[in-house]
Amino acid sequence: MEKYLYVALFAPLAGALFSLLFTAQKKNVITALVTSGLLLISFVSSLTLMFAVHDGLTLHVKMMGWISAGNLSLPYGFIVDNVSVVMMVTVTLVSAVVNIYSMGYMMHDKSYNRFFTYISMFVFSMLILVMSDNFVGLFIGWEGVGLCSYLLIGFWYEKESASWAGNEAFIMNRVADLGMLMGLFLIYWQFGTFSYDEIFAHVGSVNTGIVTTIGLLLFVGAMGKSAQFPFHTWLADAMEGPTPVSALIHAATMVTAGVYLVIRASDLFSLVPEVGHIIATLGAFVAVFAASMALVHRDLKKIIAYSTLSQLGYMFVAAGLGAYWIALFHLMTHAFFKSLLFLGAGNIMHAMDDELDIKKMGGLFKVMPYTAILMAIASVALCGVYPFAGFFSKDAILASAFNGGNFYIWFTLFIGAGMTAFYSFRLIMLVFFGDKVYKKLGFHPHETYPFVLWALLPLGILSTIAGFFEHPFEEFVTKVLDKYEFSMAHSTEIGLIFLTSAFVIIVIVATIYKYAKGGFSKQLETMPLYLLLKNQYYIPKIYEEVIFKPYYALSKFAWKQIDVRIIDFTVDLIAKTLYKTGQESRKMQSGNLSDMLRWMVVGIVVLLALAIFYRPMM
Amino acid sequence: MEHILSLIVFFPLIAMFFGFVISKDSVKTFGIAVALVEFIFSIILWIGFDAGNAGFQFVEYAPLISQFGVNYYLGVDGISLFLVVLSTLMTLVSLISLNIKKDIKNLVLAILFLEMTLVGVFLSLDMILFYIFWELSLIPMLYIIGAWGSGQRIYAAIKFFLYTFAGSALMLVGILYLGYQYYLATGTWSFSIPDWHLLVLPFHTQLWLFGAFFVDFAVKVPMFPFHTWLPYAHGQAPTVGSVLLAAVMLKMGTYAFIRFSLPFFPDASVYFLYPIAVIAIIMVIYAAMVAYAQEDMKQVIAYSSISHMGIIILGTFAMNAEGITGSIFLMLSHGIVSGALFMLVGVIYDRRHTKMIDEFGGLATVMPRYATIFGILMMAAVGLPLTIGFVGEFLSLLGFYAVNPYMAFLAGTGIILGAVYMLVLYKRAFFGKLVKQENKDLKDLDKREFTALIPLVALVIILGVYPKPVLTTIDMSVKKMINLMERKALLPETKELLVRVNKVGGTK
Repeated sequence: MEKYLYVALFAPLAGALFSLLFTAQKKNVITALVTSGLLLISFVSSLTLMFAVHDGLTLHVKMMGWISAGNLSLPYGFIVDNVSVVMMVTVTLVSAVVNIYSMGYMMHDKSYNRFFTYISMFVFSMLILVMSDNFVGLFIGWEGVGLCSYLLIGFWYEKESASWAGNEAFIMNRVADLGMLMGLFLIYWQFGTFSYDEIFAHVGSVNTGIVTTIGLLLFVGAMGKSAQFPFHTWLADAMEGPTPVSALIHAATMVTAGVYLVIRASDLFSLVPEVGHIIATLGAFVAVFAASMALVHRDLKKIIAYSTLSQLGYMFVAAGLGAYWIALFHLMTHAFFKSLLFLGAGNIMHAMDDELDIKKMGGLFKVMPYTAILMAIASVALCGVYPFAGFFSKDAILASAFNGGNFYIWFTLFIGAGMTAFYSFRLIMLVFFGDKVYKKLGFHPHETYPFVLWALLPLGILSTIAGFFEHPFEEFVTKVLDKYEFSMAHSTEIGLIFLTSAFVIIVIVATIYKYAKGGFSKQLETMPLYLLLKNQYYIPKIYEEVIFKPYYALSKFAWKQIDVRIIDFTVDLIAKTLYKTGQESRKMQSGNLSDMLRWMVVGIVVLLALAIFYRPMM
Repeated sequence: MEHILSLIVFFPLIAMFFGFVISKDSVKTFGIAVALVEFIFSIILWIGFDAGNAGFQFVEYAPLISQFGVNYYLGVDGISLFLVVLSTLMTLVSLISLNIKKDIKNLVLAILFLEMTLVGVFLSLDMILFYIFWELSLIPMLYIIGAWGSGQRIYAAIKFFLYTFAGSALMLVGILYLGYQYYLATGTWSFSIPDWHLLVLPFHTQLWLFGAFFVDFAVKVPMFPFHTWLPYAHGQAPTVGSVLLAAVMLKMGTYAFIRFSLPFFPDASVYFLYPIAVIAIIMVIYAAMVAYAQEDMKQVIAYSSISHMGIIILGTFAMNAEGITGSIFLMLSHGIVSGALFMLVGVIYDRRHTKMIDEFGGLATVMPRYATIFGILMMAAVGLPLTIGFVGEFLSLLGFYAVNPYMAFLAGTGIILGAVYMLVLYKRAFFGKLVKQENKDLKDLDKREFTALIPLVALVIILGVYPKPVLTTIDMSVKKMINLMERKALLPETKELLVRVNKVGGTK
């Protein structure tokens, strides 16, 4: 089976290297075809591995040595078990779909070949991230996906805002990575290794204080990659990248890496429930915080981005409360419906000449019915309407919050679910129904290529039916992860499900009704609350004023004042003083005989004085 | 193989004398040929090097002034081996990239002379011999900056020379005093480094001598606040000068810390550990900030060197094999990466005769290959895993974490601040719209530039993906040295620290 592991891992790399050869050349469909083919091969291999793992196999390979110094010996090691194989299948499936979709989406882009290089490079990094058997291996992938994210956000580098957003994403992730790096260092000096197996085998015998610190530091890293507050601003700005990238990286895969990290290290996190509680609380906060910003936004992609952020919060709640398999399940279903939603948004952007303002659309159902249906499926799945995928995974998260007695978390998530229903259907209504605003603005939208729609079909199907695999999934992953026991009465659980579903459906119906009637009045847009949400709680502004600008000013000060004015000035002053002293004392050597005699007398006096008073200590 | 070290040291010098009779037109080819042979010699040395032997190998010994124990004494171990290879590689590459026409003969010969002194510094096992090479290396660099530089080149050259020379004077006093101490302790004179490694000095003597050596090394590295010669030197030096200065000459200082300060004065090194760590952290953060504020591309790279040297110092003073091995590896990686980055700045300077960042913008459109190579090296500079930059930085910080986690954290901010100045530089120069008319028909990299850069890019990736053979070789000699320090340590505090930072598993 080992060969499937290597094929799954290295096929994307091969694709990246192949299309790299063409980057300097004109658009060439072969790069897209080859990379798509290799991603499909990777997907098939992952699927094969999943069936093998289902039959009880766990693959663990050490490919070759990497770093060794002092007591550290760190090989490239990969593990395929019930957890990593789920991620492998999800990642390769979504990336294959996105890659095929992009053949249509990027058709007229001048950097066509470069795009496919980056995507394959990303998939390779992501697979390293999920398959590594040690924390540093995970960190390789972690930084690798960060690089690809940077390159793809800034893909249209001529746009100032795009390259700015790329930098923001990279640097903000770096801030969080420092926390993670510190966690890794602490792990090393505690355990003498980075390997998951060895660490988790001994983690029980380590001082709880240290495990707590490790848990918190690792979570800081996870917060950066998964764009949790206060590192969340980069994700919305990352929408500058091409839409398939938003679907793949900034919705389905990379941003869930933080959740994956918590799940992967569940043996460690389950020992320190306080850390888990912090994670869950922050997750619940982000779930509503992000959803609230999605309520008022007019930018098609940013709404979906905030929605992603909010759903990541849901996943962290589950992971923090110890319901690891539920977190992973929601991660997977979310990957399907959220990437579908983004790719649908991509179709709309294509039809609307890259217009993003949803208030300029309306009535698009008539021209692009298939996209509309797919996006509607994705939206109901996101809202958690029975029988779509989100229903199962999201309800399980709410149930686990209620079950643990964390009622405030449950209530927050409950409110969040309502908000999700509102912004999702606000988007659907404004884009696909109502007045055809686009006509007045002179757009000529059209449905996208059929092969693109066909490529989306698997995601549509999975968004619909994935929920029914809840129990097989649970059984599959809890072979590795801790089981999560529901202690509450079955009737309470049913009651909760009914309550949430009823609430969500009422919100959906109300939203549809409201927007069918023409929506909210313009006057609401002058309310302070509206402005607060619209300006993302002024957080980007605060970062700008409190961090970016002062840092630049301080840097200028350090250079112009400290470096040039003080340090270098002092150095030159010493040199000048020496030079001046020489210049001045040269006058002593005037050649005038009486001057010389005077100096001689001075010299004799000094020497005599020394002879009389100085007694060397022997 | 018996005299390979002498051959490596003096081959460039001999070749230089032959160079005087070579015609001006073919002297560059001659220089490349010599540097190539020299590089092959160093590779042969690497191949012949016994990776299972931590001690000095290929030792050559001949008495020079036997009354005072001054000898011609060469040897190589895991610590110096790769620095020699780095010196010969970077000399070769910088000669290939050379495109100065003026007085080319003098320049090539100066570079060959410089190569001899650099290799000599790393291979000398006699303090006096070491000192001679150490000082001689200043002369060709003074000449290169002063004769082929731009702007205030004379000021920069003299500042560089006097500053480093002043530091060396103090070291010379230290060397002589230490030789005298050796005489007092043993009754015989010796200036050989392995002999001195075995000499146990009283604590107070260690403190004074550590100080005398420290000032010189600190100027050379350069450590804050002795660093202000560096931006001038880089600012005015021709590309080839900057490449050799950043890639190899700065490493002489950090090499000297590992070769001399730690094993000669283990107690003083531990005693001064925290003050030095504070300076190193200041270097990391302060230089990164100053780099961010620069308007000149070359100055960004120059200040970034100071920032990276801070991490090297920190790794060195981690006092454990992880940190020291990491810092030596970081010397190699910084040599390759900063050398390549200076070359890249040289590429654009040749075309536009300016290095100001604001003069560019949108270069990725007209020079995609240049942008790609710059991008790869930028990622190596910010320490992305699987590039050469990650390994050393990771190990150095990992090592220092054992000494003090909070200080390691502060120094770790370098990975953030480093990304800030590099990405911002890259964005300003390469991204955005191409607006300036002068930039519209810039030529992408030519064959000469490719030949010089591709090996470096390849090394950046190969040694990033598979650094293990290099690391194990270094590690062995480093462990031997740490062992020596532990045996020599006088104070219980020193012993305790050395044990603490070298022990894995439940440090607290």
